[in-house]
Amino acid sequence: MALDFSIILRFQEALALGLWTTVKLTLICVVLGCSLGFFIGLARTSRSTLLRAVSSVYVEFFRGTPVLVQLFWIFFCLPLILGVELSNLTSGVIALTLYMGAITSETFRASLKSIGPEQLDACVALGLPRRVQVTNVILPQAVLRAIPTLLSNCVSLFKESALVSAVGMADLMFVGQNISNNTARPIEVLTVVALIYFLIAFPLTRAVTLVERRVLAKLAI
Amino acid sequence: MGYSFDFQSVSFGPLWEGLIVTLELTVAANLIGVVLGFPLALLIMSRFAPVRLPAMLFVEFFRCTPAIVQIVWFFYCVPMLFNVFLGSMTMGILALGLNLMAFNAEAYRAAIQAVPREQLDAGIALGLNPLQRTLYIVLPTAVRASIPVLLTNGIGIFQQTALVAIVAVQDLMYQAKSLATETYRPIETFTIVALVYFAVSFPVSQVVGFLERRRQLMMS
Repeated sequence: MALDFSIILRFQEALALGLWTTVKLTLICVVLGCSLGFFIGLARTSRSTLLRAVSSVYVEFFRGTPVLVQLFWIFFCLPLILGVELSNLTSGVIALTLYMGAITSETFRASLKSIGPEQLDACVALGLPRRVQVTNVILPQAVLRAIPTLLSNCVSLFKESALVSAVGMADLMFVGQNISNNTARPIEVLTVVALIYFLIAFPLTRAVTLVERRVLAKLAI
Repeated sequence: MGYSFDFQSVSFGPLWEGLIVTLELTVAANLIGVVLGFPLALLIMSRFAPVRLPAMLFVEFFRCTPAIVQIVWFFYCVPMLFNVFLGSMTMGILALGLNLMAFNAEAYRAAIQAVPREQLDAGIALGLNPLQRTLYIVLPTAVRASIPVLLTNGIGIFQQTALVAIVAVQDLMYQAKSLATETYRPIETFTIVALVYFAVSFPVSQVVGFLERRRQLMMS
């Protein structure tokens, strides 16, 4: 069987568009998901039982079910419940943001835990209001410590974003599958698609190790 | 909200069959991953570059591409490239098993590196050969240390099994999709299915939490 990788060149633009959708979706969900995750992480460590219970149920549920099921639920069920049409992009963003929020909240929770109680005591002694405690004392340290894990969460999200192809969003995977079905050349097309994902995710995972060393050196732990 | 729920129309027969398939996939993939992950970890840590580099490339490739791409690639390309035609179940198990193998190899590697140097020195002092040292000193310690991560990866692969529905293996997710289309009851079906997945993974993740807490207590 003759392999002919030049076929990819004919579909460069389509693949580039698909990649752009994947990257756009990932970036939007990274920003929204990390912010959501930080607040959920705070809620899980809060003193209010209600906040803790609600946030725990949310996190455990999103970590305990396949992302594909979550995507299907949001694509097919949310519009029925809300009674409004949601665009593909909106549903994809909602689903992946909720997923990202759940996994990053665990990251933030772990980094919040590592901030010693003496710092909170110091805040009380200085008479800082709760809002200042959160934004000026807890947030900078928690974020700094969380960065390596957050980066690997981003890599996971980037990989999971390929699932939106299953609900018909034209991301890199969807475009790749379409081309492979139409040209009957799955080996060339799917291998190139896999390589594109790899070329983006691999340097990011290397960056995680680098950043980890930097952060650890900076915190001197 | 003008939607009336009707959980009656969701028939449990197909879902039950689907769950069995999902569990079979999970168990088989875990067998491959747990057993073969260890030798793979040894390969990654080998001193000989011709052994180490291909093993590392294998692991990084599986860890850095989406699982769905791997599964679709497997189903379309393996029959064409190698001229073998396996059942869809076997293909699913192979794809998921290899994926888990890569992730478990990393878990084992971290655990192997955490085996104290003194223990190996003691092994040399006792005159054990390298194979004996690996089998009797490194393996037991490393496996025990990596159990929480292996379990976490195991649940991960349980959730990833839902992906084989896309290539028409009749697992829980596949049954859910066809049921939702047949009955026009997506909310009920997908909610039940999400709960089923949750009911399996949640207890396991609690066990992982328990093991980790116990480990921390033992360390301190």
